[in-house]
Amino acid sequence: MIRLENVSKVYATSTRPALDDVTMDVERGEFVFLIGPSGSGKSTLLRLLLREDVPSRGTVWVANWNVGRLARRRVPRLRQRMGCVFQDFRLLPNKTVAENVAFALEVIGKPRHTIRTVVPEVLDMVDLGGKADRMPSELSGGEAQRVAIARAFVNRPLVLLADEPTGNLDPETATGIMTLLERINRTGTTVLMATHDRQIVDSARRRVVELSSGRLARDDHHGVYGVAR
Amino acid sequence: MLFVWREALVGLRRNLTMTLAMVITTAISLGLLGAGLLAVRTIDRTEDLYYSLIAVQVALDEPTSAEDPDCSSPLCRDLRAELEADPLVASVDYESREAAFARFQRIYAGQSILQLVRPQSLPATLRVTMADPLRGGEIVDRFTGRPGVRNVVDQRATVADLFSFLGSVRNATFGLAIVQALAAVLLISNTIQLSAFTRRTEVGIMRLVGATRWYTQVPFLIEAVVTGVVGAVLATAGLVAGKVFFLDNLLSGRLLANTIPPIGMTDVLGYVGPVLVVVGAVIATATGYVTLRLYVRS
Ligand SMILES: Nc1ncnc2c1ncn2[C@@H]1O[C@H](COP(=O)(O)OP(=O)(O)OP(=O)(O)O)[C@@H](O)[C@H]1O
Ligand SMILES: [Mg+2]
Repeated sequence: MIRLENVSKVYATSTRPALDDVTMDVERGEFVFLIGPSGSGKSTLLRLLLREDVPSRGTVWVANWNVGRLARRRVPRLRQRMGCVFQDFRLLPNKTVAENVAFALEVIGKPRHTIRTVVPEVLDMVDLGGKADRMPSELSGGEAQRVAIARAFVNRPLVLLADEPTGNLDPETATGIMTLLERINRTGTTVLMATHDRQIVDSARRRVVELSSGRLARDDHHGVYGVAR
Repeated sequence: MLFVWREALVGLRRNLTMTLAMVITTAISLGLLGAGLLAVRTIDRTEDLYYSLIAVQVALDEPTSAEDPDCSSPLCRDLRAELEADPLVASVDYESREAAFARFQRIYAGQSILQLVRPQSLPATLRVTMADPLRGGEIVDRFTGRPGVRNVVDQRATVADLFSFLGSVRNATFGLAIVQALAAVLLISNTIQLSAFTRRTEVGIMRLVGATRWYTQVPFLIEAVVTGVVGAVLATAGLVAGKVFFLDNLLSGRLLANTIPPIGMTDVLGYVGPVLVVVGAVIATATGYVTLRLYVRS
């Protein structure tokens, strides 16, 4: 589902590569943690997958798209098949909860009546059925992140990317988010989650890929956050 | 598609002062353009009106004027024959001194100038209607100073002043319209840039969710088009008001009645209005499109 072949990324403004010859493979339906110290290149890797940036060297594949070579006008199509969740939620501030979720469907041209039935279903799934008409500013961090997850999941993406989705949340709320992501993973969606959250990684016992200064340092199936750190 | 309209509306409301400035500038520019177009129409009609009336007048000298009531003298007959044979000439009418005096009495009936004019002060004339009114000068050159001819006057030359006045009114209006249009274009472009900048985070999020560039930018284009169309409608309303409250009185008043044909409501609503709406919409769209292409990255 996701394949990186000798991928390097050097930002124009820095000398040290943010990613250095990374090769990895993620199968359809897998749940993978991406860990590593700050600045090790986790966000960069996710940005390459979303085509927010292009690799300096190497090839990035998502499903059948050669992401780095994708024509600009085809990028929306790629993103419509991917979901993404961020530490800072990134909800549209002047749309209600329901409208934020509906937006992902409007973008792919789903008809109104479909949107009207699907959005409440997904909001129920994330336990926000009663808050459909709230504005994002009226939500707690955990609720906002659940809206973001609902939006990412509503059009059944092939891949869900999450960049520190629990970074701003207390441990209990974080566990709730993690449970949600695992549920989404069980529907067959491939999940790639960058995180610093040791407790979550340790208790999930999922595949762990560790980056260190842009290099692939470890790739454990059923891994833990760190051994001697 | 509902989404983009909603966004455009929100965009227009968010920046109400800018929106008003854009609409007003656009309206003034289009209003001036419309006034220019009306001027062109009026000038064309005035010209048509005059060219059907005006002629080259070949005034005959005193002996002929006094003695020849029907152009039967050899001198007059030859002049007439030569004029009629000329391809520039459509027709020639002879007006004797008596006929000229009768016409004069008709035109100035009841006015004091009648007492001053005797038949003897009016010459007999050959009224030459030109096939091509613009080439009357050639007849003037050819017949001035010929035996039996007192003088030759191209009436067109006397109305040329009126046309050159109307022409300069038209040019000034178009000039102002262009300057105003430039201001409107800059203002629209600036507003779109500002609007796009204010919404860059939002647009960024939309792009991440998979919105196309087109999808996120159409609201800005609609904002521009709405501005253009509303401006055009206001401009048309302004022209109607100007016609009803100002021009109608002026053109039917003493000074200009029968000099300049009146401007009809169909000229404003049936011709200039639609033109302004189309021009407004096209210019606004083009401005919006170019601005988004060149200045708004995403
Ligand atoms: N837009 C950018 N321009 C230049 N350098 C950048 C840019 N984004 C990231 N970097 C650099 O690339 C390296 C990797 O950054 P990245 O954001 O991928 O790290 P990260 O693993 O996500 O860190 P964190 O855990 O703090 O989020 C860092 O050295 C960072 O300074
Ligand atoms: Mg990061």
